[in-house]
Amino acid sequence: MKIKHNRDIKFNKKLSMNMCNILNRWTLFFFVMFSLGCSEFVIVDAPKNLLTSDIVFKDKSTVESALANIYYKMREKGMVSGDFGLTTTMGTYSDELDYFGSDTEYQNLYHNNVMTNNTKILGWWNHAYNLVYSANDIIEGLENSETLSSSDKQIFLGQSLFVRAYIHYLLTNIFGDIPYITSTDYLENNKMSRMSISEVNSQIITDLVNATYFLKDINAIDGERVWPGYHAAMALLARMYLYNEQWELAASTATVLIDKYSLEEDVNDVFLKKSSETIWQLKPGEHPRNTQEANQLIIRNIPGQKYALSNSLLDDFEAGDLRYAKWVDSISDAENNITLYYANKYKANFGELESLEYSIIFRLAEQYLIRAEAMANLANKAAAQQDLNTIRNRAGLPPTPANTVNDLLDAILHERRVELFAEHGQRWLDLKRTGRTHETLKDLKPYWQTTDVHLPIPEAELELNRNLQPQNDGY
Amino acid sequence: MIKNYKSVRRRRIFVSCLFFLSVSLTLSAQDLLVSGQVTDGQLPISGANVLIKNTTNGVVTDFDGRYTITARPTDTLQISYLGYTTLTIPINNHSTINVTLQEDATALGEVQINAGYYSTTDREKTGSIARITAKEIELQPVNNPLGAMQGYMSGVNIVQNTGVPGGGYDIQIRGKNFINGGTDPLFIVDGVPFSSQSLGATEVSGLILRGNISPLNSINPNDIESIEVLKDADATAIYGSRGANGVVLITSKKGIVGKTQLQIDFSNSLGQVSNFVELMNTEQYLEVRREGIINDGFEAYLDNPSFDFAWPDLKTWDQNRYTDWQKELIGGNAHRRNAQLRLSGGNPQTRYLISAAHQNESTVFPGKSNYKKTSVHNNINHHSQGGKFTINLSTIYTHEKNSLPQEDFSYSAYTLEPNAPKLYNEVGELNWENNSWDNPLASLLEEYRANINSLNANTYISYKLMPNLEFKSSLGFNSYRLDSFKTLPSSATNPALGFIPQNYSNLTTNASQRQSWIVEPQLQWKHQWKKIKLDILFGTTFQKETNKQLVQKGTGYPNNSLLRNLAAAEIVKVQRDMDGEYSYTAVFGRINLNLDERYILNLTGRRDGSSRFGPGRQFGNFGAVGIAWVFSEEDIFKNNTILSFGKFRASYGITGSDNIGDYKFLNTYNITGYDYDGTTALQPTGIFNPIFGWESNKKLETAIELALLKDRINLTTSWYRNKSSNQLIGIPLAATTGFSQLTGNFDATVENTGFEMDIQTVNLKTNYLKWSTSFNITLPENKLVKFDDLENSTFANRYVIGQPLTIVKLYHALGVNPETGIYQFKDYNGDGNISSLADRQWAKDLAPEFYGGFGNTLSYGNLTLNVFFQFKKQQAFNLMRFSTIPGYRRNAPVDLFDRWQQNGDIKAIQKSSGGFGMGVDTGSLQQDSSAAVSDASFIRLRNISLNYKVPQISNNLDINVYLQGQNLLTFTNYKGPDPEYPSYSRLPPLRQFTLGMKIAF
Repeated sequence: MKIKHNRDIKFNKKLSMNMCNILNRWTLFFFVMFSLGCSEFVIVDAPKNLLTSDIVFKDKSTVESALANIYYKMREKGMVSGDFGLTTTMGTYSDELDYFGSDTEYQNLYHNNVMTNNTKILGWWNHAYNLVYSANDIIEGLENSETLSSSDKQIFLGQSLFVRAYIHYLLTNIFGDIPYITSTDYLENNKMSRMSISEVNSQIITDLVNATYFLKDINAIDGERVWPGYHAAMALLARMYLYNEQWELAASTATVLIDKYSLEEDVNDVFLKKSSETIWQLKPGEHPRNTQEANQLIIRNIPGQKYALSNSLLDDFEAGDLRYAKWVDSISDAENNITLYYANKYKANFGELESLEYSIIFRLAEQYLIRAEAMANLANKAAAQQDLNTIRNRAGLPPTPANTVNDLLDAILHERRVELFAEHGQRWLDLKRTGRTHETLKDLKPYWQTTDVHLPIPEAELELNRNLQPQNDGY
Repeated sequence: MIKNYKSVRRRRIFVSCLFFLSVSLTLSAQDLLVSGQVTDGQLPISGANVLIKNTTNGVVTDFDGRYTITARPTDTLQISYLGYTTLTIPINNHSTINVTLQEDATALGEVQINAGYYSTTDREKTGSIARITAKEIELQPVNNPLGAMQGYMSGVNIVQNTGVPGGGYDIQIRGKNFINGGTDPLFIVDGVPFSSQSLGATEVSGLILRGNISPLNSINPNDIESIEVLKDADATAIYGSRGANGVVLITSKKGIVGKTQLQIDFSNSLGQVSNFVELMNTEQYLEVRREGIINDGFEAYLDNPSFDFAWPDLKTWDQNRYTDWQKELIGGNAHRRNAQLRLSGGNPQTRYLISAAHQNESTVFPGKSNYKKTSVHNNINHHSQGGKFTINLSTIYTHEKNSLPQEDFSYSAYTLEPNAPKLYNEVGELNWENNSWDNPLASLLEEYRANINSLNANTYISYKLMPNLEFKSSLGFNSYRLDSFKTLPSSATNPALGFIPQNYSNLTTNASQRQSWIVEPQLQWKHQWKKIKLDILFGTTFQKETNKQLVQKGTGYPNNSLLRNLAAAEIVKVQRDMDGEYSYTAVFGRINLNLDERYILNLTGRRDGSSRFGPGRQFGNFGAVGIAWVFSEEDIFKNNTILSFGKFRASYGITGSDNIGDYKFLNTYNITGYDYDGTTALQPTGIFNPIFGWESNKKLETAIELALLKDRINLTTSWYRNKSSNQLIGIPLAATTGFSQLTGNFDATVENTGFEMDIQTVNLKTNYLKWSTSFNITLPENKLVKFDDLENSTFANRYVIGQPLTIVKLYHALGVNPETGIYQFKDYNGDGNISSLADRQWAKDLAPEFYGGFGNTLSYGNLTLNVFFQFKKQQAFNLMRFSTIPGYRRNAPVDLFDRWQQNGDIKAIQKSSGGFGMGVDTGSLQQDSSAAVSDASFIRLRNISLNYKVPQISNNLDINVYLQGQNLLTFTNYKGPDPEYPSYSRLPPLRQFTLGMKIAF
């Protein structure tokens, strides 16, 4: 028994020695395999649908693609778009449009009763800052690029600055005090506080002045005017000067555009894609080929109507106004119980298979009215009347009877209403900047409150970043 | 490298040959031929293992249970068979040894449990492994393996998220570990990691299946031998970075030694929505509707025909019409036909199984939608003579074809006005009732089709280099391909809108593919000294996975009949063309030391590398220690008549997770399918963070396992604590950053603790009557332990330190003001305003308080009855979550009819409104309030099954007839469609009856 035991031990010893050898070899083998494989094995190529940032900023065409993303998104969503942009929402929020749809959030906008958790408003906010990020990322990417020519860099930089200014302009006019974002640093941007409206405005003007400097050689007038250039930046700058009551600058900036562009003679042609007075427009995609504005605003069936022109706007048209004849249309239901009027500036609906109209962001008529208002404020009545009459004349109306500064200012505001109705909430912005929201809306809108002058900062965002507090008054 | 490998192998073979030569020379002199028969007392057992103890020499019994083996007269035979107590019999010079094996009621010591890289037994395991086998799975007429697990396992919470065939399940093993991350465990099917991530595209399947097409549907539950769920560190640490959320191992069936057997199984099921919501009838609906419009101050307009368009339900529609839309839209019968053919057999050396199944299932929706699944499963297992070489091939191929309307009708069924017009007009066309409603059946013309092909193949080879040393490797391949499309024809729109195919009709297609391969070479060395058993495993993993997705949209069709063909489109746009690659490599090992069958130590470790992390951060180390003490082996318990087995075990270890998606560490631009003015749009993918790294999940568990009264009672109780820190999650960002979240590590700690208990008892056991019971319960607790600077973080309004991650913060509902008739809420900060920021302070936890299952099996002669209940105690969103104010233009639960009407009324529901009311929207506040959460506990008769074994007609024919019911009864106070998955827009799980027959010959 004992002997056998000894043998076992020996046997085991022998076995385990063999084992050790073999195990060692195998261990070695595995480690060789592993060390050869592993460090390289876990490095993978970037996929075909992603480009790393440094590659994007190596080449002119990829930077153009990064900018195309911004204009594409502007067209499809957010405050600029015809789908749920300022045109319809601020049209109903002010006194331009009546809302007939059943969406509660839209109804609340129409009734100036916006909830802080309104998802449409949250969508605007998120979308806007995403575009600002995209613009800032391009600005920073350009700085680090060594392969782009300096003239290309200037164009891209100018466009990005313009986009940044434009988006912040929209944000501050809707929400009041907002953060102005100029970098992509998320640690900083995540904690950003709000800036006062005047600070935001001066930052917008700085960006626009820089944009016009970088874009000064880009003449967008020849093509389809679908990419913003020098003149788009100038158009927004003129508007900013007007809002800031910098009258001389507003007038001189508008003059640059008035000298360069010409009004269409026939009001029917103003919104066609080749309109000579378009300064910047967003080109629709291939499907649909026409504008969201036409799709949203034209009423094709009752029931089924969404937006109709308000009586107060219809009443504001003077007799014989060609714009009423050409830019307003109506429809009745089968039983003739009801007739509704709708904006018919853009006429080509989605079903149209040919591309006839693009979404116009800036057009020359506004510049005439900007200069007229600036001139009136500078007490240059003749110049103001002349610009105002240019617009009235085209609409088939006689020269304005107004001949005092105050009358002229009222006449210009009135003219803006009938010229620029259902265009990017211009009416709302005019009421707001002239401090007339309360006096104008208090009788028209039963739920109007003075604090409705700003929309609420989305509640979800106040929760994510407490530095955005406090909420706007009244919410 | 290959050269290296060869030379190593040659030397190894040489060494081992020498070794074997010397051993066999010493043995041959004293050989003895032993033969005999193995029976269960009555019938022979074929396929039993007859092994010479402490060697690897062994044979398997033949069809008649006979064996012949060469051994030394002093050797001991060890005879084992699944489900029977293993016997050891010394040869003592006998040349004939007949053996009778005793059936093992619980088979505690013998049933091999798959632990992934190794197998263990209930007796020896040091970790927490839950298990169900074909026995339980086959009782349940389910389409997805996860469905069969519901309620059967402690610590595993599974919820079906739609009753639409082809949909998915949510699974959570031991709670939610990550603040903002997934809970999906790692799935491994026959050794091949199986990605459970859906490849569905929202553009195509978003409305019908929420884009969530569970890849696990491709595994036929009837092909599964067992499902093991690894829960604690001891069991999961060997899966390292992928083990944090647990591991689910699915093993397919294998052939059984014996004569060739053909098994045919066919069944027919009938499925119906198990619970309808009680909604208002036409009279009630119209009453609150009219009252609501008057309350809103629009009474004057009600009789003005100019405004008829605003409320067609009150003015232009038939005021007496009533349709039960639930019956109409989701009240149909879903038929399922299932046929399965299985051929299996083999000899002790080679076993095989070939199985083919076909299933055809319709839906409860109107129309001809259906789901078809065809699967083929093969398994071949071969041992070389002497058992040195083993190869196992297993393939599962499945084809699924799903054809559904593109939208789930449930929401329409709950909300359509009860007097809404008829669906079709006199000529059988969709009725649009003068553009006054959206006809829900338009969706039937909008098709959703999916074709899914999946292949899971695994080859497992092992070679015994020496009696104690085994080289093995699995080589796995998995391919999953999804082709789906959705059509939106102009014919599904109201003709008054003027849409024609050219300007409206469109087709969206999604072609997605995932392929992965895995190679896992391993070395295992086992040795047994007198009282010490040592088992060492060492291996490496190489895995690569590629994903592709191509989503295209075609528009501009000349007519609707061409709509399914992308080539007929005038414009084809690529919406998404993406691919991704994931590489993963690891070394892992296990050392298992067993002292005297009493003290067991199990060490596991893994070093992982994953391509999902940036340079320099790809590798991480994980590991665990498990110990077990089988105290029933100690002398004091040796002759204890009550305690037949007792074990204490504990484990501690670290696992991780890399479940974050690919390429997150790169600063990238995404090539979109969109363009502006012909220039492709490139969009920034997100905020990039190159420095995220492994997170860690520390798991601790202690457990006691007991078997009492000769194993008639088995009891396992365990307590666990999982702590997840350095959380790798999507951190929410303020929109001013440009994006909504960022992938990064987050210094927060989440703790999951829990208590689990599993009991199995054999209550009665006579020759004719057998009754056994199983019961499991889990009491989980989840807590956010640490979160620095929570108040200033983007999580400030979501979480509370010391509270579970599953809380929701709500307004505190105070009922309806008897004077004003509107909902009231507690104004926490007293500013007179109810705002989300300050007043959503009522925290409720929506995770289950406890859950479990309770099953009984009763067999009397040829009749077997299984009854299984599932229970859960929990709170959930109730119907208030979906509908709070009566009078809107959509139907609502009948509870809303009992509303406030005049000053002084004390009611739970506020006054009605037609949806035109102004001021604070109390309805939406109420939806987010404490009133919208209530008890949703339930006891559900998950499964009942009655099986009758037809008395043998001839020796070779075995017939079983069975009746099964799934989800038959639910006891609950909950009023919504389904307490388990509170939703108002998804089809609840169906109640199913199945009648089937199994024939084997």
